[in-house]
Amino acid sequence: MKRTTLVIGSVAAALSLALTACGKDSSKSPTPGATGSTGSTATVATKLLLGGPPEFKTRPDGVPGLEKNYGVVFAGYKVLDTGGPVTVGALKNGQVDAADLFTTDPAIAANGFVILEDPKSNFAAQNVLPLINKAKATDGVQKVLNGISAKLDTPGLGAILTKVQNDKQDPDAVAKQWLKDQGLDATGSGASGVKLTIGSANFPESVLLAQIYAEALKAQGGSVSTKLNIGSREKYVPGLKDGSIDLIPEYSGTILQYLDKNATATTSDDVYAALQKALPANLIVLEQSKAQDSDAIVVTKKTADQYGLKTIADLAKTQ
Amino acid sequence: MISEVISWLNDPSHWRDTRLMTGIPSQLEAHVRFSLIALAIALLIALPLGLLIGHTGRGTWLVSAANAIRALPTVGVLVLLVVLISPHYTGRTDVGFLIPTEIVLVLLAIPPILSNTVAGVQNVGPDVRDAALGMGMTGSEVLRKVELPCSLPLIFSGFRSATLQVIATATIASYVPLEGLGRFIYDGLAQQDFPQMIGGGVLVAALALLADLLLALIQRFVVSRGISGRFSRKVVVVGAPVSADVAQAELAAV
Repeated sequence: MKRTTLVIGSVAAALSLALTACGKDSSKSPTPGATGSTGSTATVATKLLLGGPPEFKTRPDGVPGLEKNYGVVFAGYKVLDTGGPVTVGALKNGQVDAADLFTTDPAIAANGFVILEDPKSNFAAQNVLPLINKAKATDGVQKVLNGISAKLDTPGLGAILTKVQNDKQDPDAVAKQWLKDQGLDATGSGASGVKLTIGSANFPESVLLAQIYAEALKAQGGSVSTKLNIGSREKYVPGLKDGSIDLIPEYSGTILQYLDKNATATTSDDVYAALQKALPANLIVLEQSKAQDSDAIVVTKKTADQYGLKTIADLAKTQ
Repeated sequence: MISEVISWLNDPSHWRDTRLMTGIPSQLEAHVRFSLIALAIALLIALPLGLLIGHTGRGTWLVSAANAIRALPTVGVLVLLVVLISPHYTGRTDVGFLIPTEIVLVLLAIPPILSNTVAGVQNVGPDVRDAALGMGMTGSEVLRKVELPCSLPLIFSGFRSATLQVIATATIASYVPLEGLGRFIYDGLAQQDFPQMIGGGVLVAALALLADLLLALIQRFVVSRGISGRFSRKVVVVGAPVSADVAQAELAAV
């Protein structure tokens, strides 16, 4: 009895192994450009190891995008985390030579990392903008939120995020201070009578932006409640659609990709225009800020100096 | 979905190493390597300690303490240790991630081996131990020749459950950036490539079952027939002994 089970088991194992050997091969033949740069010419990138989140390996603007747009072919890819401490540590300690981080990450300045410019817009624009329920976007509310977007830029956002992430300050206090510094803390009645539930995703920057919106609207007489750290888009976008959340800070490129899987827009204006069309009927986006939190290829100062790197295109230079 | 998983497993490109992808055989090798290192260290610590505690009857609180370790959240400890240890290793090395992973896996493997070894030794009948002492065996001889062989089935069951746990949990090595079959599970989730994710899970389960089967086979040859009671049907034991325990001890000692 036991012996028969064993025999059947081993036969099944052998059969599956045999099947494996003649299965269908899904690997696409590499693009001619890619083979050319790996095979014959040694570029800067072919000596470097890239690290980043798992999906960056297959994402259209990830490794495939870098190869297509810039002809940059790295020596290999090491899976780390999504712009988190593991990635920062691995870049700092030399486990990887280049990494995918987010442009507002305080760790970039803290460690003297260099962001490589992206002149060909491989990474889609990620302007910070308020995504809001149409019914709640009264003229007064719009004026307050557009006022915030007008003052927000990438270095400014990075600076206040540093206070939250590195100095462990309370996001609410940082939000109030920023509004005061920008002269946006004037009290008034612009948003009075509007009942808003403001949500945020579960990372510090989103929480901070939600607090900025909340404090500004409160100062203008709005009756505001917050639902912070909700989670990923799969969780909060349904909430926006059914009206349990009214307002959330978003990033133009990512929310466009979420709403329309086939979106191809990459520049700031194109993404904004495409986003208007892709939004569900009850939601609108207000004016976008200059602040961007997009992916970026980041190297250490030492690597940048050694190879003279300024843009991603420099990685494709021959050595 | 099932057919997609099968075709993922059948795809030869997933069994090869490329510049960007590590194939199944390499990940399997890494997974087995992490598991073996952890199990070897755990066995070296827990087996002698368990035999000693069981034999002397002293320090049984250590077993409770080891069991309390099981309550530690594995991922939490892993991340904490990575934060503490990995900054000390620079350059193209994974040592800073390997050490925390192995510590976590060893902590996981010690309790079942230790508690089963202690229970095994303690459960050897007092009459058996008396008989052994009466035959003039010293304390260490009793431990080596009587108590250890008699408690082997329990020790094996502890080691087998430790092996299953370690192989299943070694997937978290991929949570910190290491290789292993967990890579497919984490990457599949992040890339929303669910056949890859389930395929990775299936491979881990298959590896765990295979390891358990192998250990069962080893157990069959290592454990004395007098203990396991696994006799060939053709052999008839003439003259049934008065006490089964005594007979076991005699057979085991021989």
